[in-house]
Amino acid sequence: MKKHVSVRISRRGFVAGTAVLATGSLGFPSIGGAQAAPVKVGMIHPVTGFVAYNGQQSRLGGTMAVEDVNKAGGIKSMGGAKLEALLGDSQSKVEVGVSEVEKMNEQGVAAYIGCFQSPVGIAASQAAAKYNTPFLIDVGASDLIVNRGLKNVFRLKPGFGVCVDDGIASLGALNKAANNVAKTAVIVHESGEFGTGTAKLLAGKLPSVGITAKELIAHDNPTRNFDNIALRIRSMAPDIVMMSNYGNEYMLLARTLFQQKVNVAGFYSILGGGFNYKFVKDMPDVSQYMMDVNHWFNPKSAKAQELKKRVEAAGALFTFEVYLTYSNVMLLADALEHAGSADKEKLTAALAGSTYKADLLPYGPTKFVNGQNQGGRPAVMQSLKGDIEVIAPEEFASAKAVFPKPKLG
Amino acid sequence: MTRAALLCAAGLAAAIVYPLLVPNYLVNIGMLVFFTAFIGQSWNIAGGFAGQTSFGHVVFFGTGAYTSTILQVTYGWNPWLAWPVATAMGGVVGWMIAVLSFRAGLRGSYFALITLAFAEVFRILANSVPFTKGGLGMLIKADQRPINFQFKDPIWIYYLALLLCLVSVAIAWHLTRSRFGARLVAIRENEDAARALGIDVFAEKVKVLPLSGAMCAAGGTFYAQKYLYIDPSIAFGVDKSVEMLLVSMVGGAGTIFGPLIGSFTLMGINEATRWLASVVPALKNVQPLSLIVYGIMLVLIVARLPNGLMGLFRRGPARA
Repeated sequence: MKKHVSVRISRRGFVAGTAVLATGSLGFPSIGGAQAAPVKVGMIHPVTGFVAYNGQQSRLGGTMAVEDVNKAGGIKSMGGAKLEALLGDSQSKVEVGVSEVEKMNEQGVAAYIGCFQSPVGIAASQAAAKYNTPFLIDVGASDLIVNRGLKNVFRLKPGFGVCVDDGIASLGALNKAANNVAKTAVIVHESGEFGTGTAKLLAGKLPSVGITAKELIAHDNPTRNFDNIALRIRSMAPDIVMMSNYGNEYMLLARTLFQQKVNVAGFYSILGGGFNYKFVKDMPDVSQYMMDVNHWFNPKSAKAQELKKRVEAAGALFTFEVYLTYSNVMLLADALEHAGSADKEKLTAALAGSTYKADLLPYGPTKFVNGQNQGGRPAVMQSLKGDIEVIAPEEFASAKAVFPKPKLG
Repeated sequence: MTRAALLCAAGLAAAIVYPLLVPNYLVNIGMLVFFTAFIGQSWNIAGGFAGQTSFGHVVFFGTGAYTSTILQVTYGWNPWLAWPVATAMGGVVGWMIAVLSFRAGLRGSYFALITLAFAEVFRILANSVPFTKGGLGMLIKADQRPINFQFKDPIWIYYLALLLCLVSVAIAWHLTRSRFGARLVAIRENEDAARALGIDVFAEKVKVLPLSGAMCAAGGTFYAQKYLYIDPSIAFGVDKSVEMLLVSMVGGAGTIFGPLIGSFTLMGINEATRWLASVVPALKNVQPLSLIVYGIMLVLIVARLPNGLMGLFRRGPARA
């Protein structure tokens, strides 16, 4: 019996095919076989716009990781194929992030990494799903990202649900050790998806450790003055102030609370965007004893310390964006190594079954369930004498927590 | 056939053929050009033709986006059915703002500011009330079938954006030829003189804002269906208002093709500079190159072409 095979040629396939034939007929010399084709990795970050600094830090971490993978011989199971970073700027806009996905798809990316902001990550990974291209969320706290049933989306880091759970448990332990000095809290959060989601979860879970949320105060992005919010907090006299916001607002709020002499037992932020080395070095008085539950590197990891030195030697700060994007590139390289191919289906399967050891991070073994790594967990840090120390989890701790903090003079 | 009609026909033919010849990325850019032109035209009808400059047109955009998304996600409506309801809701909000503002005698910069205030109120409301899910935003389930107003092949969403743009151009064209349009132009040029001529200024202004609001709301639904996620900052953020205003001003406010020309130009500059920054090594670290060029272009257009780019093609009076 004769088998009929139908071949469908798309309009673009036809145009592309004829272009390739035409080019080939010109007789370019073949250099095939000399080197494995590079694997293109699309990195989409907001390097301009209101979170440009964070995006630039992510890009720094990503490009350093690509360099490191290539220096170490590329993807060995693919004949030493090098990684090639395609750099995209989402401009902090959803539409532009999606445009970058489309552009990079035309350029033949094997996977995407991005996008810092959750809304951009949600839309961009959705666009990548059309092409079944894996999308690794390096930064982006919303749990909506991994709750949509998209098989191409993977997040190594924990979402805000896990950060809140771990943060509440650590706060409960701290408070218990301090004879339950804290009974009330005020939560200040940015009004977007990330801050609102975190604040709602916090307010719901604080009573489980004997603390009541007196009020949830939302603020816009950007906010240039926190005087009114600080005065309101002072009038409410909570025991703890909890913050969940982006970098600039975090630092401005912290400074205003210090200037307005808001005396509390502790400042305890969940995913406080500005809690980093710049903050504690530039404002040691303001930051002293402030605590933050956030993505952090494993201070006991030699690889993390070495990368930190390299980043600082380059004049940059070792912020969480750097090592999260770095780790995502390494996760992708590991998956490519296991897949032995940049084929999207094989790569997605390799990522879904990945047991990659995230050396830089204080994580357990990698295991993806619906795209979310179950081993991802945040660390609790405290600013002590102009430096940042990890105070929990205990196995990664570099110092003991100071709680309640000494009263301001 | 006149030269202008020939040009329009050629442009339309090019727009129809374009997505068949280019990769998806450029189809997406084309879609954005027509979509931005459409929402820009909605601003142009109120701000350009009627002279009712608004800084908060995004209030209609967000109303449309949220109305259709709530109907779809919360009440299980089909998005195609939710679309006309969202469009009508934009008209209702436009009517409400028009009655409240114009009854109070607000005009010029006062009207512009009150629209900005309305947009902010709506953004704060969307952030606060439970049925919008507050700052968490609303996610539309991905189910890429045309019946769900979702398309796997970007060519269809491109054609839909083109269709919206054509409809908006047709509305603008009709305004330049109708009595209603003439009354709007009279109001724009001199409200007191228009009143002296017997035009019911209040009634005409109350008619134009719902029309503009409904169009803009239709754009909001289109956006929500394309990106499948909205939150208060995306739906009611001031940057969308600025975008609508800019494409109209750059292209030529109060002209039929101004928003389309403006959208095409600004999107072209943005993409060209982004491409330059990616291929010219010296520009690779100049992150906001597109924004710098964008800014310079705006200054030049505002300083040298007060009637926008359409002013280059005119010899007669500045606007419709």
